[in-house]
Amino acid sequence: MRAVSKRPRHNLRRSLIYLVLAVTSILMLVPFYWSVVTSFKLEQFVFTNPPQWWPNPLTLHNYLSVLTNIPFPRYFANSVFVALATTLGHVFFDTLAAYAFAKLTFPGRDRIFFIMLLALMVPFQVNLIPLYRIMAILHWTDSYAALIVPNLTSIFGIFLMRQFLLSIPNEMLDAARIDGCGEFGVFSRVVLPLALPGVATLVIFTFMNTWNDFLWPRIVLNSETLFTLPVGLAQLQMKNTSNQAQIMAGTVLTALPMILVFLFMQRQFIEGMTAGAVKE
Amino acid sequence: MTSEQITIGKSGAPPGARPRWLKFIRKYYIAYLFIAVPLLSMIAFLYIPMIISFWWSLNDYSGLQAARFIGLGNYIELLTHDKVFTKSLVNTTLFVLMGMGIGPTLGLLTALLLNQKARFQTLFRTAYFLPVMTSLVVVATIWVMLYNQNGLFNTILVDLGLSRVGWLSDPRYSLFSVVIASVWQGFGFETVVFLAALQSIPKEFYEAAMIDGAGAMQRFWYITLPSLRPVIVFVYIIGIIGSYQVFDQVYVMTSGGPVYSTSTIVYYLFTKFRDLRLGYASAIAYILFAILVIFSYLQMRLSRER
Repeated sequence: MRAVSKRPRHNLRRSLIYLVLAVTSILMLVPFYWSVVTSFKLEQFVFTNPPQWWPNPLTLHNYLSVLTNIPFPRYFANSVFVALATTLGHVFFDTLAAYAFAKLTFPGRDRIFFIMLLALMVPFQVNLIPLYRIMAILHWTDSYAALIVPNLTSIFGIFLMRQFLLSIPNEMLDAARIDGCGEFGVFSRVVLPLALPGVATLVIFTFMNTWNDFLWPRIVLNSETLFTLPVGLAQLQMKNTSNQAQIMAGTVLTALPMILVFLFMQRQFIEGMTAGAVKE
Repeated sequence: MTSEQITIGKSGAPPGARPRWLKFIRKYYIAYLFIAVPLLSMIAFLYIPMIISFWWSLNDYSGLQAARFIGLGNYIELLTHDKVFTKSLVNTTLFVLMGMGIGPTLGLLTALLLNQKARFQTLFRTAYFLPVMTSLVVVATIWVMLYNQNGLFNTILVDLGLSRVGWLSDPRYSLFSVVIASVWQGFGFETVVFLAALQSIPKEFYEAAMIDGAGAMQRFWYITLPSLRPVIVFVYIIGIIGSYQVFDQVYVMTSGGPVYSTSTIVYYLFTKFRDLRLGYASAIAYILFAILVIFSYLQMRLSRER
């Protein structure tokens, strides 16, 4: 009797869960959908009542205009270059330092590490203004160097990689040392390959943060030829509020690369974003 | 080989011995070399600017003329005379309270639903998580269009027979509109963190509770919530610290307006930087820092209590 009566209730509950999940997921995607659809509309059909849920007529005009009248390809190249250079720096310097903190002993190690952890608490806004002046003194304002050099390493990255490297058994490192590896050899031949999952997390975390960074590039850059995508998009949005369709084409072009990479590497992304939250 | 030993021998040290500092360097130089770049980078780009910034906060300084020491003058002006700063401080706190009231709750609810062994779990999770990957400038740009006087939201309101809302142009709603866009962007992070935590709770806990006759609410209250406690602390503290630094959305969506109704601490700092009141802007940064230190301290206390 009970088993019979339980079934339909169970199914009802399941369907309800699916319904809520489906409806909320669709609601989440509406803003994305709306921006993509708008980017293919002619300007006069952007704000219509009833809303055009499918562009009619469908036009590529906005994309052509964004790609030719506004240096969006240049913004894109800048974003790729800055994000790649920064990420490479992080992988190399953060992992190297993390290795020293995790596996080597040297005087002052724990004290230096503690000072680094303290620095994690300092919000960027505190050093923002003097950093701008330092860049000016070095004649680095309005250059790639201002975007890359101060961001070549991160304390969070070192912390993350150290947690990862601590789990590598010391015996493996000693074996390599006995075989005549120097410390750098141990690092590049043993530690780095073993730490690859951690490196993947670090890469994603760094790449995404650099790609989406706004405040610092907005402050330190003046020339349009150096703008990264978010800075270029913000400028486009403020400059001509009249043409929403064109702005949406720029928005789609800014968001698309990150979303594509995400869809292909979802698991790593989610691990990268939640690192530190659950693992500890 | 011999000439070197002879010179050392002449100075009176035992043959073959090297000075202690040389030994020290030989033994440890590689470790210091490995940490050199991050260490120098931290000193040059973090600690030194931080000290300079503190000094500037005690000065009337524009970056063009010489600094004039005024002690706590900037802080006193900010906290007692500057109405826009007080407004920004209140706005930011409201932003944090509203965002933290809605975001983690939505995150926990969606995580609980996803944890019901739902099929297409990854698909739903992707929908919630997609905005998290997206730059805040992109998110803000999209929402500016949705909030437009003739935008999608107002079109729907008109179709329902209601009147249009000045989402971003009416100072009564503007801050809340920024909050909604920010929550949409961010709560997927909390969904994913909570889901991972839910999946790590041992099933035996629930089985034992079922045998003891615990209902769904009781299981949630006595097993799920206590197990999630460290993650809840993490999510709130990280969320509060991040939200207090809100800038990108405000810059793109409202520029702090209308009538300062969406001006936040960092946005106000940005305007003072632009006006070349560098000392004043530094003092704002230090007030923000003080607020964040309190929450960082809270996190340390709360996560140690586990």
